[in-house]
Amino acid sequence: MRKLTVIPERCSGCRLCELACAINAFGVNNPKKAKLRVFSLYPHPVIKKPIVCNQCRIPKCSENCPTGAIYIEDGIVKIDEKTCVACQMCVTSCPFGAIFVHQEIAVPFKCELCGGNPKCVEVCPKKAILYTPEHILGQSMRLAGVLKYAHMKEVEYFEHGIVKKLRYADTEKSKNSGDNNDN
Amino acid sequence: MTIKGGYCQKILEMDLSKNKKHVIEVSDNFAVKYVGGRGWGARIIWENLEQIKDPLSPSNIVVIAPGPLSGLYLPASGKTSFSSISPATGLYADSNMGGMFAVEIKQAGYDAIIIRGRAEKLSYLFIDDDCVELKSAKKYKGLGCTETERHLKEDLGDETLRIATIGPAGENLVKFSCINSEWSRNAGRTGMGAIFGSKNLKAIVIRGTKDLPVFDLTRLVELGEHAYKTLKSHRLFEFWQRQGLMTVVDYANAAGIMPTHNFKDTCFDDADKINGEVMETFYKIGDTACYACPMTCGNVNLVKEGKYAGTVTEGPEYETACMFGSNVGINDFAAVLRANYLCDEYGVDTISTGNLIAAVIEAYEKGILTLDELGGMALHWGDSDSIMELIRKIGKREGIGNVIAEGSYGLIKKWPAIKQLISQVKGLEQSSYDVRSAITMALSYGTSDIGGHHARAWTIAKELEVGSDWTLDEKAEIVIYQQTVRPLFDMLGVCRLPWVELGFSESAYAEFYSAATGIETGLEELLKRSEAVYNITRAINIKLGATIKDDFPSWRCFNEPIKTGPLAGKKLEMEEYTKILQLYYNKRGWNENGVPLPKTLDRLELTDIEI
Repeated sequence: MRKLTVIPERCSGCRLCELACAINAFGVNNPKKAKLRVFSLYPHPVIKKPIVCNQCRIPKCSENCPTGAIYIEDGIVKIDEKTCVACQMCVTSCPFGAIFVHQEIAVPFKCELCGGNPKCVEVCPKKAILYTPEHILGQSMRLAGVLKYAHMKEVEYFEHGIVKKLRYADTEKSKNSGDNNDN
Repeated sequence: MTIKGGYCQKILEMDLSKNKKHVIEVSDNFAVKYVGGRGWGARIIWENLEQIKDPLSPSNIVVIAPGPLSGLYLPASGKTSFSSISPATGLYADSNMGGMFAVEIKQAGYDAIIIRGRAEKLSYLFIDDDCVELKSAKKYKGLGCTETERHLKEDLGDETLRIATIGPAGENLVKFSCINSEWSRNAGRTGMGAIFGSKNLKAIVIRGTKDLPVFDLTRLVELGEHAYKTLKSHRLFEFWQRQGLMTVVDYANAAGIMPTHNFKDTCFDDADKINGEVMETFYKIGDTACYACPMTCGNVNLVKEGKYAGTVTEGPEYETACMFGSNVGINDFAAVLRANYLCDEYGVDTISTGNLIAAVIEAYEKGILTLDELGGMALHWGDSDSIMELIRKIGKREGIGNVIAEGSYGLIKKWPAIKQLISQVKGLEQSSYDVRSAITMALSYGTSDIGGHHARAWTIAKELEVGSDWTLDEKAEIVIYQQTVRPLFDMLGVCRLPWVELGFSESAYAEFYSAATGIETGLEELLKRSEAVYNITRAINIKLGATIKDDFPSWRCFNEPIKTGPLAGKKLEMEEYTKILQLYYNKRGWNENGVPLPKTLDRLELTDIEI
């Protein structure tokens, strides 16, 4: 199972993902029909964040759907258009705001990952939207945690005339133990 | 010939005096003949020319027009053109901005908006698809551009609205005030902000939800994908994403064409303190892009320390870095950023503002202006504090700022001796390329229909590279070709930078046009229509009193050779310039006074234009 993840600080807010998504999903040149949105907060602070469906395993949208129209198939949260009554409970109960409506489209719509080949990921010129295996999710936070613990430092040194880098952990422990290692 | 897409074929006409809207159906013939954007603007201005009295009176009109390609799946399709009669030059004017505004106009179902009259009190226009309302903007009076945008979004409860607004400078009718959208997208030149101000129009707010009509979406998407792939694989693409137009600083300085100390010099000793490298290393915190564009020219910068700490702005790009850097002698990038921020907030054009401030500094240095006339505030090169104060005074029209706010012509009227110090053409302050070493660039500025602006033709790099092998004939031709192809982008409602900077082929746009509209059209045909529009703007200018005298670059270009740098010693020769100007007229099919000949108008199917 893979999921969409976003790196907001990379996003330029060009909305190419929205446009490509709408064309792919509905065959129209209309970003207001996209199944994801770039939310830009202008002017300050500087935030541009693609809002994508997280394909929750325990989806609030489904939980709150009064007609049971939202179901999970192969890990993807889907809306059954026949059972849906377009009450828009799912739209307001999604914690991420990742379900959308448009006056010309009968029922709410959401990301279904383009059959495993998400168009938004393909077109993003800044690589701000990634299609990541589930086990990688959270990896960056783990890494940040480890780095924070280890206060990683970097030194440059020469070896046979070539500059090389060595990373080492400047841990509290080594300081306390009084090791005499020149840092 | 039937239009099958690309156009909504509707123009929203809003008479602010009567608070009445009217939707005009656009014929296939009109739509195709003038293409869109600046083309439609010029034609509509021509048709209304008789009734326009003073640019700042209710009789003036503004045409706000994206183009047939705006909002579509192709690179940088988010350009909106504003056309009118300029309060600064008294002649035809247009200026365009990127961002998302164009897309929203089209999604609301219009190809263009025409604004007429003057609202009774300060108002904003709210367009929500078919619903159009004029609302009070009393609450936003005097607010800066980004502040206005933020407050409007908060009050209307929708962050996704698209807004074009003016700042205090526009309200105060500063003649080079601009229209600002999304923080830092400006229709900067020719004083569009003052025209909004004169109409009591603080902002236009739009929300559009409709599908954009496209004849052959499959073909358009294929062409679009190819375009994106081509751009992304360009060797400079990644560098461009990082620095955008700031890359030009190093180039212009090394080439010796970067205006320094009010266009006296062409190299700046401290250029490496205000270049793309400095921006990227110390200030840049993010990217922004216009609609559907992979190039992300917009650099979001933050000043982290020093007296300007906390200043966040999108920009500068080259023009601003030069006008508020080398041209006023500032060598501190944080100060350039601060000036950029203040200009955006007050809503004034950075090019005109920097250009005029530099002229005033030189006038003071030369003794043309006294300390008294400056209101007791001495001005020196690189003195960023007083330069910031001057921006504020211009925006608020206080003291000396009130005189500068009248633009080049206003300054010259008040102090005739300053004329030789101001680099301007037709009353529009020249942008950031020195032309003494490149006669084609001088001709570009001279014959630009809006005045001293580089957007119409930018030939300087090519001329410096290979120009010594060109005949005068070829030089005139290259200017005409550029003045034909570059405005075409403004007519189509797209940005020209993929073509200018990353070498994307201009003929691709004819294919985009064909796919969108269902009318098979070649580049030659589109260029012919762009040439026709150039003749219309020429006709407008002649009707408004422009003559051959207005086709010359500034005094300094002919009289003061460049003193330092790789092009030292160069200046323009009047005799040669007169010669190339006549060659240019001749090739354009204009008479010796620069008036389009009847046979030229015939060839361009403009038989109803009488000059």
